[in-house]
Amino acid sequence: MKMAVIDPAENEVNKNIWIAVGTWRWVANDDNCGICRMAFDGCCPECKLPGDDCPLVWGECSHCFHIHCIVKWLNSQQVHQLCPMCRQDWKFKE
Amino acid sequence: MPLSNANKPVLHEQQRKDEEKLPKKRKLTDTVSSVNKRIKSGTEESTAMTESQKRANFSALPSPGSNGVHRHSSPLSNNKPGTTKKLVIKNLKEKPKVPENYQQETWGKLQEAVDAIHTSHAIKSSLEELYQAVGNMCSYKMSSTLYEQLKQTCENHVKSNIEQFLADNIGYEEFLKKIDTCWQSHCRQMIMIRSIFLFLDRTYVLQNSAILSIWDMGLDLFRTHIVGHHIVQNRTVDGLLQLIDRERTGEAVDRSRLKSLLRMLSDLQIYQEAFEKKFLEATDSLYRSEGQRLMEERDVPEYLLHVEMRLEEENERLLHYLDQSTKKLLVNLVEKQLLEQHISQILLKGLDQLLSENRTTDLCRMYTLFSRVKNGQKELCASFATYIKGTGRIIVLNVNNDPDKDKDMVQAILEFKDKIDNIISTCFGKNEQFVNAMRESFENFINARQNKPAEYIAKYVDSKLRAGNKEATEEELERLLDKIMVLFRFIHGKDVFEAFYKKDLAKRLLVGKSASVDAEKSMLSKLKQECGSGFTVKLEGMFKDMELSKDIMLAFKQSVQNEKTSKNIELTVNILTMGYWPTYTPMEVHLPGEMVKLQEVFKKFYLGKHSGRKLQWQPTLGHCVLKADFSGGMKELQVSLFQTLCLLLFNEGDVFSFEEIKQATAIEDSELRRTLQSLACGKARLLLKAPKGKDVENEDKFKFNDDFKHKLYRIKINQIQMKETQEENVSTTERVFQDRQYQVDAAIVRIMKTRKTLTHNLLISELYNQLKFPVKPADLKKRIESLIDRDYMERDKDNPNSYNYVA
Repeated sequence: MKMAVIDPAENEVNKNIWIAVGTWRWVANDDNCGICRMAFDGCCPECKLPGDDCPLVWGECSHCFHIHCIVKWLNSQQVHQLCPMCRQDWKFKE
Repeated sequence: MPLSNANKPVLHEQQRKDEEKLPKKRKLTDTVSSVNKRIKSGTEESTAMTESQKRANFSALPSPGSNGVHRHSSPLSNNKPGTTKKLVIKNLKEKPKVPENYQQETWGKLQEAVDAIHTSHAIKSSLEELYQAVGNMCSYKMSSTLYEQLKQTCENHVKSNIEQFLADNIGYEEFLKKIDTCWQSHCRQMIMIRSIFLFLDRTYVLQNSAILSIWDMGLDLFRTHIVGHHIVQNRTVDGLLQLIDRERTGEAVDRSRLKSLLRMLSDLQIYQEAFEKKFLEATDSLYRSEGQRLMEERDVPEYLLHVEMRLEEENERLLHYLDQSTKKLLVNLVEKQLLEQHISQILLKGLDQLLSENRTTDLCRMYTLFSRVKNGQKELCASFATYIKGTGRIIVLNVNNDPDKDKDMVQAILEFKDKIDNIISTCFGKNEQFVNAMRESFENFINARQNKPAEYIAKYVDSKLRAGNKEATEEELERLLDKIMVLFRFIHGKDVFEAFYKKDLAKRLLVGKSASVDAEKSMLSKLKQECGSGFTVKLEGMFKDMELSKDIMLAFKQSVQNEKTSKNIELTVNILTMGYWPTYTPMEVHLPGEMVKLQEVFKKFYLGKHSGRKLQWQPTLGHCVLKADFSGGMKELQVSLFQTLCLLLFNEGDVFSFEEIKQATAIEDSELRRTLQSLACGKARLLLKAPKGKDVENEDKFKFNDDFKHKLYRIKINQIQMKETQEENVSTTERVFQDRQYQVDAAIVRIMKTRKTLTHNLLISELYNQLKFPVKPADLKKRIESLIDRDYMERDKDNPNSYNYVA
């Protein structure tokens, strides 16, 4: 018995088609954003849709936040720009 | 006016000065020609007379603008001493006198004429002569005597007529005929007499308001002496009623006689007191008993038909002989006795039947008739609403738990709605009241069963939006979706709909079973319009993910073009954003090496593009198109990923047991059983199971079916993926309930935060205002308990019935 899957024919028409499904989520060290307390799988309070419109950013201190939340926080700091979680200097991780 | 002409030179100067005193001058000429004018005016009046004759039967008062009155003003002299010649008109030296016996003689002549009229003989003297005689008598102040004499003569005549009506042995029809003839001739005679005595009528009678005109006098005499006689009156009225009664039973009667006699009563001004009252009483009792009898005997449509006919008949009666003043009373009476008294019984006995049999003409009739009576429409509307609720409940509740009935529920509701809509627009005149009642009733019965109708509506939409639903064109589908939206509007728990709709939409998109993108988008925009963008945000996100995935795949294909990744698998990946889609429980399965490798290549590519993310594969949602080589030729198989895994196994061996397959693929037990069942026990059997049977047992062995035959080249076996499993259904419902709990919690905290302190009852009522889905008070109580446990709020120490917010 032969199944076409192992058939070495390289004919395009004879190719098997595989439609796979994957889900993505943020790689974060916490479930919620430390600033807005909203889930990372969701979005910050200002946004309506999670995903590319409301991305996460990581600092060098390894803490992450919604980009909108941390930018707002940094703008409100007058002297030093510190991570709100660990009080280290905030630097965006490349 | 020859005299005034002669005066002209004399008055030449004067005329200029007195131009504005023209009436004065007229008076002068009036006096001079008064004798002439009397005769003249006589002829003028005779033309006026013919006019009034036409109206004689109505016995109107003489018209106010009558010129019958002459003012005898004193002659005014314009004489002025001057040079011009005077023309003096002197009064007669001796007053003209009439002969001594003039009055007797003249009256004799007139009486003879009156008698001749009464006895219908030819009048001896000429009418003009008689007319002048009357005029002369009036001029010589004999008017009052003349009037009295005339009245006496007429009275004698009228009185003499009474005898014929008092005889016992005449039937009512003959009696009516007699009285009619008598009345007709009386009228004729009175008109004639009045014509002769017109001068009297216009002068003497007019000047004395207390005296009746000749015509009215005639009526008065007839009333007092003939119809006023109680025997005659009773017999007349009874006769009339009997005649009308006979007509009501369907006989043809002489309508002109009825008309003439009723006119007589009106003219004599006794129509209301003598006839109308009795007539209405008779009508009332007739229709009361008829209404009661027919309500028993006939079924409702027949009865309504009869009522309609009766009303029409009575209207015709009004048109043909009854006085118009009776109209309102009579129609009201018929409506009251035939309809108003029976409204509730008619509705109880017949409405449900008419509605369920969709008898539009009968319903039309019912609506029109009920609109005529007070409260009719209201009652009809109320019963209509009760019917909708009752019938709807039967469709929705499914007392016997028959799964087939549940499957057809939405279709049945849609058909029912169509029917009711049709009835409202064709029979009930699109009455706003009825439309509202319909809406209310639909809302009532659809929500009589919690959650399930919403679920079935979502599933119904799914079945219509799925590929392969070729029964409808795009316009038809669009119309259908509109109708479904109407039902959707009635549903209270819209979150249940959303959950199931989302679950089905996800499958349609991921398994590629959506019938048309346009239809999907159109449904989405309808939902958005109905519930606002908050409701559809996630659904829109799902479409967005599909679009993004397409872009990613384009980029991926370009990047792997050069690498020799896989010779015979073409991979497409749909990347989902967790938040938008239904939650899927991740499942680990064993994929063949080649597939794992391909997956890894994609994963590397994707994460390279999107840093900070991790990718989770969802094997439950994957599907494949496989090329398979059977002894009967190549086939293309559309299968789920799990089916693929099972099938691929048979490339390495001939026979596998259930346990072996389970170990090799690592598919979850029940999922694997379902998968193998679909491959070995369905319509297209790619695998052979031993022993045969419907269910997959642990010891079963499976063998590849090399002799597989099918008339099609491309075979779909992955319907199994679209099917909803019991677990799926339960978890979807549970997730809705879970979400509701969060919403309840949030609402309680929101309310307590603003109010700080609130009694239990007030809190519950506020919650019902805020929550958009049905909840039981007991469930709310549980949530309150839970929040107290979690220190969001506390019971008041003094008053156990009220709560305090804990900050």
